[in-house]
Amino acid sequence: MTEASLTSASDDSRHSTSRLTVKDLLSSAEALRPTLGEHFRDELVNSLYREAESIARRAVRQKDDHHYDLDQKIDRLVTSPIFGLPLMLLLLAAVFWVTIVGANIPSQMLANALFSLEEQGVAAFNWLGLPWWITGFLWNGVFRGLAWVVSVMLPPMAIFFPIFTILEDLGYLPRVAFNLDFLFKKAGAHGKQSLSMAMGFGCNAAGVISTRVIDSPRERLIAILTNNFVPCNGRFPTLIMLATVFVAAAFPPALASFAAAGSVVLVVMIGAFFTLAVSWALSRTILKGEASAFTLELPPYRVPNIGRILYTSLIDRTFFVLMRAVMTAAPAGAVIWVLGNLSVNGMSLAAHIANFLNPLGVLIGLDGVILLAYIIAIPANEIVVPTMLMVYMGAGMMTESPDHNFLYHLLVGQHGWTLLTAVNLMLFSLLHNPCATTILTIYKETNSKKWAIMSVVITLGLAFLITFLTASLARLAGWVS
Amino acid sequence: MEWVTFVEVLLVVFTVSVIFFSGRGVIVQMRRWRATSERQRIEDALKLLLDYQWQQRPISARMLAADLRLSDTAGLRLVNIMQRQGLLETRGSDLQLTTEGQRAALQMMRAHRLLERYLATEARMPLTKVHREAHRLEHTLSPAEVDRLEADLGYPRRDPHGDPIPGPAGEMPSMQASALTAWELNKPAKIVHLEDEPPLAYAQILAEGLRLGQEIRILEITPQRYVLTDGDNEYRLAPAVAANVFVEALPEPSAAANGLVPLKALAHRQKAEIVALDDACQGFTRRRFLDLGLTPGTVIFPELLNSFGDPRAYRVRGTLIALRDEQASQIWVRPLNAQ
Repeated sequence: MTEASLTSASDDSRHSTSRLTVKDLLSSAEALRPTLGEHFRDELVNSLYREAESIARRAVRQKDDHHYDLDQKIDRLVTSPIFGLPLMLLLLAAVFWVTIVGANIPSQMLANALFSLEEQGVAAFNWLGLPWWITGFLWNGVFRGLAWVVSVMLPPMAIFFPIFTILEDLGYLPRVAFNLDFLFKKAGAHGKQSLSMAMGFGCNAAGVISTRVIDSPRERLIAILTNNFVPCNGRFPTLIMLATVFVAAAFPPALASFAAAGSVVLVVMIGAFFTLAVSWALSRTILKGEASAFTLELPPYRVPNIGRILYTSLIDRTFFVLMRAVMTAAPAGAVIWVLGNLSVNGMSLAAHIANFLNPLGVLIGLDGVILLAYIIAIPANEIVVPTMLMVYMGAGMMTESPDHNFLYHLLVGQHGWTLLTAVNLMLFSLLHNPCATTILTIYKETNSKKWAIMSVVITLGLAFLITFLTASLARLAGWVS
Repeated sequence: MEWVTFVEVLLVVFTVSVIFFSGRGVIVQMRRWRATSERQRIEDALKLLLDYQWQQRPISARMLAADLRLSDTAGLRLVNIMQRQGLLETRGSDLQLTTEGQRAALQMMRAHRLLERYLATEARMPLTKVHREAHRLEHTLSPAEVDRLEADLGYPRRDPHGDPIPGPAGEMPSMQASALTAWELNKPAKIVHLEDEPPLAYAQILAEGLRLGQEIRILEITPQRYVLTDGDNEYRLAPAVAANVFVEALPEPSAAANGLVPLKALAHRQKAEIVALDDACQGFTRRRFLDLGLTPGTVIFPELLNSFGDPRAYRVRGTLIALRDEQASQIWVRPLNAQ
């Protein structure tokens, strides 16, 4: 509060007796405030709208709106009882298919370029006469981890995020929220949660940030804690590997990519089921309460602005997520190299840890190597498959996926994978803890360690519980030994 | 073996330090816990005594103990402590609040009702749960914090059950409501207060679908039940429950009589004009509605139906806004004939 005099100097000389200071004004306002009654806010907003309307009437001339009829037709189609949900699933499958197929070639090219850079770097270091472990640590460890994450993650994200942003810009996504709200209402959550879930396909950290559109804290927390049940781009490689090795192999090559996209959609639907189930459980236990005010604006359909889409999706989303992943992938690459190259009693450290974890892994239908890969991959889920293959093949560094036949023989023939392993790996990949980036984002968004820890406890607990149940069931039924 | 003794010694040292460690030991913690629970009991007793005083019923130390679920000795000890603090005095076996005790009791009631208001309208907790939560929180607020809460809430006059909220000096807004059991048959009334004690009766009232601000009349009175109607639905209450519903005469012709319907009940693609937001819609939700431009006088048009009926999307001022049925039932509209 300033004590500046309200009246000017010339007024002062005339009315030297009555001086009104800001402090007086504020204190009298404060004294009058309780007498205003409860509805003064209503009147305030009413008068603002009235004023705005009268200005608009004078200043804006409205032509007949041709878009209006078209908008209504589209709206009736995308929200229709017959076409609404199938259309949504079809679109989702199409987006996945485009992402999977479209990312293949650029991913390969990026990988080739980056790995040949690695070779040259190794050659240069050797020529300089540096000891092998410096070369190995920096190039085969840190650099390879980086190269892996960039080549696996960048192309799908550079395809997925623009498509996603186009759907958002078109105005389609709010209609999805409108269609699906009945499910979220039953789960005690907010329909806008489906928007943050859609974002989560690109990256769960981005999904967590996008829960900001939900204005009620309780429902927003639910959306944050369950976002991880949507598989992100970083987990697609695992799912696609499983889909191609165990599902698509049964289809002719021409259909393989569709089979892969189809199985990813299936996994996504399982994920959506867990999202709703956990939301339901949360809103009946630690986040007790009823679904509160739901208001959702359905904007008119617009022609997307390509320039803006490229900017927001590539700079704001792709680049932002990639930078964070790179920051965490480099140290992870270093750890992997150290574990693969440090030997104790003639066995690499990685193999020792995998052996130690094996009983727990077998209990939930997986094995020690998979668990080790998930521990190492806490910073970035992209490196799960390469790490797994590295340990299986006894190599000292992450290895590129060989062709599917070889993979099938390596996993099923040599390392005893069964259909149970594949199913449980899929479930574990879907349910396990969020990556370090996402946990950090949850901490930043909720500003609470408690909720960040909760997000890990819920997901990891559920992952172990579900995989343990399926494994026990399969064993009881005698499907696997 | 030697190391067994060593472990035993360690255990003893650990236990002793846990019990006595200054400021954090078990003993200090227990003393602190007893002090807070004693304060809570005093505060609960104050509210109870105020309640009896208003109803002009006498209360003895034994009744107080029973109501607070304390043993007789614990009740007597509580009365002694409160007497020493100058909060109450005894007249014969009757307990009576002193002026100081009354002031303290009103302060508690003020905190409780403001908290209930906050929990219901801002935190949007279910109405059946706000009493317990407010009861837990009321002991943690200082008078200054209560004043701040009141200012932040915009100086509300009633709690979500319709009870008046005392002012900072303990003054009560006037209220002339009568219980439904004292109301005439067929005389239109507006519900102004739903007593939230005992919780079981309150839950029944809510389960029937009755709410504050609703306009009703009594259709039938029998020793077994009261039958009410708001024009559309019938509500059945046991007489004991009906005694917890308080009503006032209607200040003006009722909403339903004016041809108003809740937005939820508006026929699809039927143009209408918003007349008012329901009184039961307060705080966060009300502000959100106003921000979206759902102000009285605005034309609204139900345009898009969800395949599952809920939510429905309405065109307002050129934008399409989806609302769930719960929200749409809080907006009163008048159907327009044009179109």
